[in-house]
Amino acid sequence: MRQWWSKVERALGRRRNLASELEQEIDAHLQFLIEENLQQGMVPDEARTAARREFGNMTVVQERTYQSWQFPGLESLLQDIRYAVRGIVKAPALSFLVILTLAVGIGANTAIFSFVNAVLLRPLPYPSADRLAILWSGLGYSGRAPFSSFEVFHLRQRSKQFDQIAGIWVTNGALPGDGAAEQVKVADVTSNFLPLLCSQPALGRFFGPEDDLENAPSTIILTHGVWARRFGSDPSIIGRSVRFGRSRSTVIGVLPADFRLIFPDDASVPPNVEVFESIPVGPWRADGPAFLHVIGRLRTGATFATAQSEMDSAAAQINKLGGRASLGNFTVSVFPFQADTVREVRPTLLCLFAGVGLVLLIGCANIANLLMARARRRLRETTIRAALGASPSRLARQFLTESLLLGVLGGFAALAAGYAAIHAILAARPPSFANFDRVPLDIRVLVFTFAVALGTSVLFGLAPIVSVRRLDLTRDLKESTRQAGFRRHHWTSVLVSAEVALAFVLLIGTGLLMRTFINILHTDPGFRAGNLVTFRVSVPGYAPLHLIQQKLSVLPGIRSASAISHLPLDDAGNWYDYYYREGASSAEQTSVMADHRSTLPGYFTSIGATLLEGRDFTDADDAQHQHVAIIDDVLARQLWPGQSPIGHKINLSDSPQGFYQFQRDWAIIVGVVHHVQYHSLTAIVRPQIYVPYPLAPRPSMSFVLHTSGAEAGLATAVRSTIDSVNKDIPTTHVEPMQLLVDRARSESRFASLLATLLSVIALVLAASGIYGVLSYSVAQRTTEIGIRMAIGAPRAQVLRMILADGFASILPGLLAGFLLSLAVAPLLAHLLYGVQPANLANYAVMLIGVFVISAFAAFLPARRAMKLDPLTALRYE
Amino acid sequence: MSTVENLSDEERLGLLQGTLEVLILRSLKLEPNHAYGISQFLEQQSDSEFLVDNGSLYPALQRLLQRKWIAGQWKTSPNGRRARYYSLTPAGRKELLRATSKWQRFTVAMAKILAPEG
Repeated sequence: MRQWWSKVERALGRRRNLASELEQEIDAHLQFLIEENLQQGMVPDEARTAARREFGNMTVVQERTYQSWQFPGLESLLQDIRYAVRGIVKAPALSFLVILTLAVGIGANTAIFSFVNAVLLRPLPYPSADRLAILWSGLGYSGRAPFSSFEVFHLRQRSKQFDQIAGIWVTNGALPGDGAAEQVKVADVTSNFLPLLCSQPALGRFFGPEDDLENAPSTIILTHGVWARRFGSDPSIIGRSVRFGRSRSTVIGVLPADFRLIFPDDASVPPNVEVFESIPVGPWRADGPAFLHVIGRLRTGATFATAQSEMDSAAAQINKLGGRASLGNFTVSVFPFQADTVREVRPTLLCLFAGVGLVLLIGCANIANLLMARARRRLRETTIRAALGASPSRLARQFLTESLLLGVLGGFAALAAGYAAIHAILAARPPSFANFDRVPLDIRVLVFTFAVALGTSVLFGLAPIVSVRRLDLTRDLKESTRQAGFRRHHWTSVLVSAEVALAFVLLIGTGLLMRTFINILHTDPGFRAGNLVTFRVSVPGYAPLHLIQQKLSVLPGIRSASAISHLPLDDAGNWYDYYYREGASSAEQTSVMADHRSTLPGYFTSIGATLLEGRDFTDADDAQHQHVAIIDDVLARQLWPGQSPIGHKINLSDSPQGFYQFQRDWAIIVGVVHHVQYHSLTAIVRPQIYVPYPLAPRPSMSFVLHTSGAEAGLATAVRSTIDSVNKDIPTTHVEPMQLLVDRARSESRFASLLATLLSVIALVLAASGIYGVLSYSVAQRTTEIGIRMAIGAPRAQVLRMILADGFASILPGLLAGFLLSLAVAPLLAHLLYGVQPANLANYAVMLIGVFVISAFAAFLPARRAMKLDPLTALRYE
Repeated sequence: MSTVENLSDEERLGLLQGTLEVLILRSLKLEPNHAYGISQFLEQQSDSEFLVDNGSLYPALQRLLQRKWIAGQWKTSPNGRRARYYSLTPAGRKELLRATSKWQRFTVAMAKILAPEG
């Protein structure tokens, strides 16, 4: 302690005294030596010189002695930092270039990592999120399906691993409260659902067992948004009865403002649900429809594996109870909620993460080259410092300090760039990322950014160290700076090759993603998206719906109007069921699942779907006449392969008695329509079956209007038409169908856009790397080129010489990039559509592209070399 | 001093790590001395086997000062020069005893192992 304090004392206050004391002491020492030399008979001058030689390097003695007063390393660190700051300030252009490259490279990583962090790493914003599970039913070939109320009841009865099992089903419904009738997403939830995802309501209470009782008064819970928008954030809303659709409900709770409904993309549970009502669960009907999306919370100590095995045996027991399960192999799958939720976005994010990683590596290679070139320019200075006694480790530490300082500055710039990029990405993000609207720059992102910044600065900081690793004092002092750099630097060309290779890999990936996007643009969705507008209505029954259709059909600017229960690419509230043909074996009966669609006549004409066979529905197709159905060609091929299904009987579930009063029924197939892409533009998820509205009434329908193109004023005309039928019919805004199509394309557009951006950055970096290295080499070799020209080398030969120099690193880079891409591209397969990872055209285009750009980058300095005037070049020093 | 010229730098013995400080303490056992005197003493006592490098000597003196094993004082030398004289402190004396016995054990042990007819 005392020793430490004496160091502090020396370091802070008494440095100057100590230094002068040491100087005096050394002086005395020299005097002793001189005296002795004089005694041996030397002349005074000789004696002094000999004494100095005997004493040794005075500066080294002083410096080492100073070191014993210092905190180990601290002062030399400060010195290194001062030196580094001086180096950075003295070369502002270079420093700016390095920091800019880091800002772009690390900033991109910060942005993408923020998303990885928010989406993949951070737990979902729910209490005990790590114990939440999502359950999917399976029947026949179809997995990832919802459950019936009956099944949920029996799962609950048999579960000890879950302390809660809850269900949700989202449908379209009316916005509660007085004011303009408006349609919103409404969720039917079991009374234990909300407490699983939210620790407590902002106001009032959650649903309780009392809300599940038969004849319980209708109650609803509002989101914070609706409460603010519709009820002016009035706290007295709790307990008040408000208009809700065609009846009234009591508001019992308001959710907190930060509540988010985050479900897997394919669960038909959109994030924009605004109203919750409770739905009881019971063993009422074994063959009731499966519509509930189920989540559960593991009991403490339970694992997903034990829960899965418990659900396996529960499913086996439910198989014996009747209902759809009794028809065959009913299964229950348990997945961690978070992992299942990010299932779709994970590959996209990870690919982007890899992409920004590549960009950063290219940037690092560029910076390494810049710093190496500078280290070589400083070779003379470094050599002199080494000759004056600087140890190699000290020199290395100085280079490293400078790189680290650049890295830290780059890290700050990257944070700013990353912050901007996050907001740009949030604005452009596809709906599959819609659930993740909060991407914070939290401590993990900060740590990541600076870890990357420091890691990369060590990486590129090693470059100049390697290049001055072996100093040859005599040689390097004699050579001029210019010649000193002329020695071939193996590392430089390796770095350039690496840049070309990495850029090529990125371009191959981008090419594939762009091809995918183009394919998706040209894919046939099964309908005509142009001149099509849509809106949803809540309908009291068939008669008003029919009337609205008739009135809309004759509006000016509307060619035809019809309605369907689910719009293509608008998945909310979807349900599906099993279907079988007449005479199917019991195993076959559950083997085919199809989306259930309720339509009005004229739907196929309005939306532009192709009727392949038979006829459309007419107004005469109702419950009183022969029950009929139309199927799509996919279902037709599954049930009646190789023959026409027209006139065949199909078993389906319908509800001619009223909303959701399902029964199994037989219908005659009267038409076959071309498959419409309801779920995504790229995958045929399930076939569809269409049933006329009177056989399958729904409380909410979506209108499709085929317009003649002029859509101005249409929204007002539509609203007043509906008001003329009934003022209280809630509708949504009128939207072009194109919006839904664009939304479905947005994920691919997003991925290919970001990939293109990354590729452009990579190409620019790689090209500037080639350009920079060759320019530097030309500048270094100016004298040599002058000599060559003076002794008669033709200009073309000079050009060839520099180009060959460039190609010596470009061509191996292309080869390495090609091989690397062959290995890496298959990892993208999950994101591709209609293009193989090993697409030949893609490779050819990118190979030529990278070659041309690299060649151009090499040509510019080569041309400059060619145009040198030999006389000027020779004088150049 | 004649032997100094006869031994080249390579032929001299390098000082083992940590030995210089003990040798300095030893050189101050009988009387205070200045840096030059210390290096002279060490060269002579070792028959010029050790050449004390000033780059090591001065930092070693500083370390000993910091540990308060020696104290420095400016005095005038017999031939009229002012020089900084170092002397052992009581703690330094104790340290010298401790280190001497340690080194003796060390050299005996080394000698046993390296003895030609071991």
